[in-house]
Amino acid sequence: MAESVKVLPQDIQEIIEVHEWDMRTREGVQRFRELKAKSLPSVALDGELVYESLIPMQEEMIVEIRRRYKEKNQDE
Amino acid sequence: MPDETQTKRFIYPTQGVCPPEIHFKLNSGNLEEIRFVGGGCPGNAQLVARLLEGKPLAEALEYLVGIDCRNGTSCPDQLAAAVTAAKKGNLTPAESFRVLADTSDRCRIGLISSIEGNSVILQKLIQQMQASGIDACYCLGNLTGDSAHNKDLIQNIRKHNIVAIQGERDWCYAQGQEKKSLPPLEPKDRDWLLRLPQVLSFQMEHKKGFVFFGDYIQSLPDYSDFEPYALEMNMVCGLTHFMQDETVFPALEAMIPQFRADIIIFSQLKKWGHWHITGKDFISLGPASDAKGLSWGLLEVVDEKIEFKIMQAEYEGG
Repeated sequence: MAESVKVLPQDIQEIIEVHEWDMRTREGVQRFRELKAKSLPSVALDGELVYESLIPMQEEMIVEIRRRYKEKNQDE
Repeated sequence: MPDETQTKRFIYPTQGVCPPEIHFKLNSGNLEEIRFVGGGCPGNAQLVARLLEGKPLAEALEYLVGIDCRNGTSCPDQLAAAVTAAKKGNLTPAESFRVLADTSDRCRIGLISSIEGNSVILQKLIQQMQASGIDACYCLGNLTGDSAHNKDLIQNIRKHNIVAIQGERDWCYAQGQEKKSLPPLEPKDRDWLLRLPQVLSFQMEHKKGFVFFGDYIQSLPDYSDFEPYALEMNMVCGLTHFMQDETVFPALEAMIPQFRADIIIFSQLKKWGHWHITGKDFISLGPASDAKGLSWGLLEVVDEKIEFKIMQAEYEGG
């Protein structure tokens, strides 16, 4: 799952920060529960669980990231 | 030369002296938390530990080296050997929790949990288990309880050669943290609790299993998420809350291929339960006694498959 995020185009990489949690660790489990995730792999955007149990198409993820970026920056 | 800037905990197996182990920490080249465990003169041992607390190694060694008590050595001399070995990197730092391996291939295992200082109930359960033809008995914590009879219980467990696994309260008692209203445990009983395994691994019909009490192990000093069985414990304790949160079972299933154990048994919940998920058995042990009577768990191989049963008996007091 992390790989699918890491290979996003450069212009997308420039507007996001990627955090990867290792589910083998207590920290990873804690974050998983905070996000109220249920299955793996899971992707959260801005702390909100968006994709669960599936790896989205790159285009789909790009659209979602752009939409959120636009929403957050529309007042600027 | 090992990194001296971190605190590391060591357990040194002694030779020729009464206590079989010496526990200590090295913190930036200073000695801390020395404990002679399992025998010897507890008063003198405590004095040595207090006098050397926080001392730099070189200074401590001046006091320790060359003292003879028996067999050409002594407790201080063994401590000198231990810290010298640690300083040179010849003594591996202790793992954060103690794992014991039952190396026999078992067919019928009796499981007791939460006996909590009740030696009478333990005795009754042992009789029933022996009548059932078990080939091993594992007694999971908490072994001790808010009871004045913890000493009797410890003696009973030792007398019957039961494999005991430390629980959270047992760990606290080993540190001298029992309730003040209770008679204090003798040093030798405290040391016995301290030396108990916190994880016991076993083998049954080509399946590997392990038993542990619960999540206090995760808070032990230096606990690492990457030690043997830590993954399974993290999943049971943290992810599923002892298998009580079924909504996260899909995530558990995704992690199971990385497990080294096939059977995982725990006792913190004090609630009976058995889950079979993706070829792995998760078993929660209930208390040895409750209002319904006495209970123990039977894990056995039937037709090359692992089966778990809750065995019950009438409660007649005691």
